[in-house]
Amino acid sequence: MVDLVYFQLLSAALFVIGMYGVLARRSAVLIVMSIELMLNAVNINLIAAASHLGYRSVGEAFTNFDGQIIAIFVITVAAAELGLALAIILRIYRNRGSVNVDEVDLMKW
Amino acid sequence: MEWAWLIPVFSFAAAPLIVVLGRVLPGSGSFLAILAIAAGFALFWWVFAGFLGAGAGTENCLVSAHTGTLTCHYQMAWFHAGLAGAAGSVALTWGIIVDPLTVAMLGLVTFVALMVQIYSLGYMRGDSRFGWYYAVHALFAAAMLTLVLADNFLLLYVAWELVGICSYLLIGFWHERPAAKEAAKKAFIVTRIGDVGMLIGILLIWREVGSFSMFDAFEAVSSGAMTEGVTTVAALLLFLGAMGKSAQFPFHVWLPDAMEGPTPVSALIHAATMVVAGVFLVARVYPIFSAYDGDALLVVAVIGLITALMASTIALVSVDLKRILAYSTISHLGLMMLSLGAFGYTAAIFHLLAHGFAKALLFLGAGSVMHGTDELDIRKMGGLRKVMPMTAFLFSLGALSLGGIPILSGFWSKDEILLAVNDHLNPAFIILALLTAFLSAMYMARAMFVTFFGNLRQEMEHAHESPASMIGPMALLGVLAAVFGFVGFNWPGSYQGIGSFLFFHEAEGFHFNWWLGILSMILAVGAFVLGYLIYIKDRVSLEGFRARIGGLIPVVENKYYFDEAYQWVVDRVVLVFANFIGLFDRIVINDLAVNGPANSVHRLGIAMRLHVTGHVYSYAMGMVLGTIALSIFWWFRSVS
Repeated sequence: MVDLVYFQLLSAALFVIGMYGVLARRSAVLIVMSIELMLNAVNINLIAAASHLGYRSVGEAFTNFDGQIIAIFVITVAAAELGLALAIILRIYRNRGSVNVDEVDLMKW
Repeated sequence: MEWAWLIPVFSFAAAPLIVVLGRVLPGSGSFLAILAIAAGFALFWWVFAGFLGAGAGTENCLVSAHTGTLTCHYQMAWFHAGLAGAAGSVALTWGIIVDPLTVAMLGLVTFVALMVQIYSLGYMRGDSRFGWYYAVHALFAAAMLTLVLADNFLLLYVAWELVGICSYLLIGFWHERPAAKEAAKKAFIVTRIGDVGMLIGILLIWREVGSFSMFDAFEAVSSGAMTEGVTTVAALLLFLGAMGKSAQFPFHVWLPDAMEGPTPVSALIHAATMVVAGVFLVARVYPIFSAYDGDALLVVAVIGLITALMASTIALVSVDLKRILAYSTISHLGLMMLSLGAFGYTAAIFHLLAHGFAKALLFLGAGSVMHGTDELDIRKMGGLRKVMPMTAFLFSLGALSLGGIPILSGFWSKDEILLAVNDHLNPAFIILALLTAFLSAMYMARAMFVTFFGNLRQEMEHAHESPASMIGPMALLGVLAAVFGFVGFNWPGSYQGIGSFLFFHEAEGFHFNWWLGILSMILAVGAFVLGYLIYIKDRVSLEGFRARIGGLIPVVENKYYFDEAYQWVVDRVVLVFANFIGLFDRIVINDLAVNGPANSVHRLGIAMRLHVTGHVYSYAMGMVLGTIALSIFWWFRSVS
């Protein structure tokens, strides 16, 4: 069985990549994709921890599904959020002809 | 008589009605003002009759211990300053006094106002603000009548300021002319300086007595509750207000300039009624002035004498017909003050009435001349009696009356004043008073002869006589200017002369001092004869006289440089001080105290807003950094 820490390292790497995408990208679509990346990093973390904790010892049956259930919730919410985000991005594109977030800066001062 | 308060109410009602309905009513609603004052005049006769029929037993009437005359007093609650019944609260009342002084003033004001308003129908015809003129006239009449009826200082002060504002509005009636605008402001500000003193005096009396009622004040004075010092100071402060209103030295400068207003306004407000409010005030609170041997009255007498003498000399050299009359008014107001200062209460009020009729007539005459010729400079006139016979006759009647020609009313009233001065004051006063009487006859002779007699000038031949609506009121005033003096006699029967009706403490029968009467008669007739010889016959030349007093003439012609002196004071003292205060206000109050905090908040806001960039990634960066900071914080907490 693979040690839990490797899963966590993978999850952290994915999360940081996603975070970099959110901070550095100019296109709203890419920012949304980066957010998805971060969510999936969290999912990996959750499932890894759950499967690790689910086995008390080798050969024992699963007794705890909490992590998997939360992961399914996260996927569901992420799908809904994505739909909403894409709709907003579409409206911005219709209004301004661009999805560059640098140009969307009316909410200041 | 208890309905006397209605007299001003008519006019008070008329003023706003004319303003509101003036556009739709015929004649811009002028008839409303005339009807209102005519109703007031009718009611005056009713009040007069009621007052003559009243006695000490009549309800609300008693013989006042303070003035010695029958005084009827009606009042009702006005409002409480403070909670009713609470400590320190003052119940204020509306109230009217009906006593001989009030009755006399009511008669003068309603009659002259009625005459002037009728006269204005002709004089102001075609003016673009005809309705407004009548509205302010009505308001003025109402305020003036309230002033003479008021039984407490507060109501009197309100009316006092109301007549002031009406005077301001009417002087500046033709406010397109810069001179009229300036004159209106000057009149308002100069009288206001006196009014401040008067207000302080009223408040001082209130502090001492705890009431605004005049009767309470009189009671406090006679009972000794108001000490000699306080009483004198209060009287002098009230006199400051009277000096401003009655154009006494050194506040006289506004009255000549007030001639910028329409001439009927000068007749009503600046000759017969408002300017005598100061004399009326001193007479009304005479118990305060005459208390403690009348220390304050000496000041009144001196100011009156200076005013009378100074103004009559200026009138002698002035070339503007209305300004001659204005200085004559100042001079006669000074004589009334002098008379009050000499315990000549009856004489002062008698002269006030006689002068009111005669001077209103003279002003209306001057207005008639102006109406016919569009000219006021007497040097350009002459012989106008040929084209304006009625005006000339009536003007001459008024001039002779005020000049003191016997059997006309001015002679009798001026004589009473001289008598009072002779009886009660230092001989120096009577000599100067006689000189004033001579000068006043002299300038009247000059105005009358130069304007109406001699040869008619070519350019004046187009002049025309005024319409009947102007001549009629002048004729009625002329009758009074001629015969009013006869009320001073003790006619056969029970009537004992005006001194038995209008008096202070002791009724005076008619008295006549032969040497004084003949002396003043010689002076008056002499002045008119001299005037005739100088201005018409050219028999007596002024050149020698002018050469001898050469240096003095420019001084007098420049009105003793009062205007220049005031201008200097305003420029060098008032404005410098005002600029200093203004700078203080701008720098310390405005910039530092008011704008200071606001500016700091503004600058802070500008500095703080920079973090709100509007860029999504900068907010995201904030979130990330915040999360990292929190994580580190928690990590350190869990480790330690």
